[in-house]
Amino acid sequence: MATIAMVSVVAVGVVLTIPRYLRERDMMEAGAVTYASLVVQQVAHSANLYRTTGRHILDRRVGELMALNPDLVRLEVVHVGGEIVLQADVSGALTLAEQGQAQRTEDPETLRMIQSLKIEARRVRDSSGQMLYQVVAPAVEEWGRRTYSLVAYFGYDRVDRELLHSVLVVGSFLAVALFLARRAAVFLAGSITANIERLRDGVGRIREGHLDERVKIDSHDEVEELAAAFNAMADTMADTIQRLRETYRELEVLDQTKADVIANVSHELKTPLTALRGYLELLAQGDLGQLTDEAARSVSVCRKNLRRLDLRIEELVQLSQWERRVDVTGPSEEVHLGHLLHGVVETLLPSLEEKGVYCSLNLATDLPPVVGNSGQVEQVFFNLLGNAGKFTSAGGSIRVTAEPRSRDDQRGVLVQVEDSGIGIPKNALLRIFDRFYQVDPSTRRKYGGMGLGLALVQSIMEAHRGAIWVESVEGKGSTFSVWFPLRPSDSGSGAFSLRRRTDPDTMRSEGQRGQENQ
Amino acid sequence: MKYRVFVVDDEPDVVDLLRTILETGGHAVEVATDPQLALSQLLDDPPDLLILDLMMPQLDGFELLKLFRQDHRGASVPVLILSARSGHRDQILSLQCGADAYICKPFSPRHLLAEVDKLLEISVGKSGD
Repeated sequence: MATIAMVSVVAVGVVLTIPRYLRERDMMEAGAVTYASLVVQQVAHSANLYRTTGRHILDRRVGELMALNPDLVRLEVVHVGGEIVLQADVSGALTLAEQGQAQRTEDPETLRMIQSLKIEARRVRDSSGQMLYQVVAPAVEEWGRRTYSLVAYFGYDRVDRELLHSVLVVGSFLAVALFLARRAAVFLAGSITANIERLRDGVGRIREGHLDERVKIDSHDEVEELAAAFNAMADTMADTIQRLRETYRELEVLDQTKADVIANVSHELKTPLTALRGYLELLAQGDLGQLTDEAARSVSVCRKNLRRLDLRIEELVQLSQWERRVDVTGPSEEVHLGHLLHGVVETLLPSLEEKGVYCSLNLATDLPPVVGNSGQVEQVFFNLLGNAGKFTSAGGSIRVTAEPRSRDDQRGVLVQVEDSGIGIPKNALLRIFDRFYQVDPSTRRKYGGMGLGLALVQSIMEAHRGAIWVESVEGKGSTFSVWFPLRPSDSGSGAFSLRRRTDPDTMRSEGQRGQENQ
Repeated sequence: MKYRVFVVDDEPDVVDLLRTILETGGHAVEVATDPQLALSQLLDDPPDLLILDLMMPQLDGFELLKLFRQDHRGASVPVLILSARSGHRDQILSLQCGADAYICKPFSPRHLLAEVDKLLEISVGKSGD
């Protein structure tokens, strides 16, 4: 309480005296400037008179001015070059410099003010250390050949008196406060400041990451309460951060466990597949004796289904890896999309032809290489073409095109896989990139697959900072478009986009689709 | 000329399959299903080629490969890794540990034979210089 009382008393004292002091000072300065300009005009006029009538008139005028203004302690008329032409002081002595023998003003700030030809004022100390107001105002000879400024010095006495007055008022308040508080105000103020500084340092230490930092203050006042609140906040924060760290660690372990489980599952699944595939191929090749036609057909069916099983397992493993974002950016190398597309189409062509689906590949001749992971990019093409083949029936066709295409001012390559298959219903378009999504629950039986292919494609395109979108009309076909930037941008801001279109008007309209991709 | 191919895999069916394939390809085959025992056998009498599984319970294929390569007797024997893991990481790690080739399970017997013949050809060509 005592502290509060004392601080208030001091504050009241300061509040009462400081503005008054400032007001006085401002008034004096403003007054001094106005006054100086009047004096200047008079002196300038007198200087002109002097030229025509002689020294005594100027002499008298300056003397009158000095007498009228007790605050004016010195007056100088200075040429813009710095020569002091005329000097008058409080004693009434007037000195006029003879031509060519003038003293010079050496102070650079005064010179600057003189040459600025504006009325300016400032506080200076004279050679005896006395505080003065210096006011500089221009005074131009009537015929304007030589330009002078008037430099007037006003005493600071009144200001000093006001200051003393303020100090006395504050001092008396302080004395009362001291008496009431029985404590040294300076010491108290110091201790408050010191405690607040300790608090500030504590906050700083926490910001630097020293979460165990606490501030101990025993001042039995609000600062101590503040410190206690600060410490409580720091405790809560440290607890929360600790919990978050633990959760993060648990999640990391869980993620690793999941990856390990999937790796083990894949090992467990693939080992029996190894023996199955190996023996089936040996059988098919006739290495284990000639097969009857019936047996050869059976072996062929076994091999085909084994291949499917293997692909599904591989999909599952790869997706779990993408999910972990491990190796997603992969080794970056130059990827020639044309070569990859050729390879993929070549691989899939036999099964497509067997099914009665026609497939064409149109590559632009000027396809630039993109930067990426060729294994992953190949996977994209395999999955898109695999899907196209899967959902296109006999007599249908698949058209694969690749051409240079800029997108958002970024150069890149656009690859499109267009099929004349069953198409995708509007309501399913939004979900086909979701994992395990199947357009029709019976799809799995009818077309095979686990609904991971497009999710994987999307992950890969995301990792390559590319884009993927699909246009489709149910019953007529689908066009999947993937776009690869020539160089994956570092910023990555909005670089990846996923667009789905159902508008039938844009279907099979090369021009409009072109605009759409700009 | 018959080459001696040594197979280390903890899965007996896979070992049998490899034996069948390699013998069809005209090679002499020795097998081990326990990688710890395999190492001493391998070093005592180094084969012309080693086919090694990666995921084995007793001793990791990487470890076996490293120990084999550290010994001067195993330094120049071509090693083919046969693994159910298809990730780039394992392939790169295998090559860094001193493997010469990597084939994923399940594999095609013809692919395996071709790879084995190629490795033997290179290895024999080198030692013949």
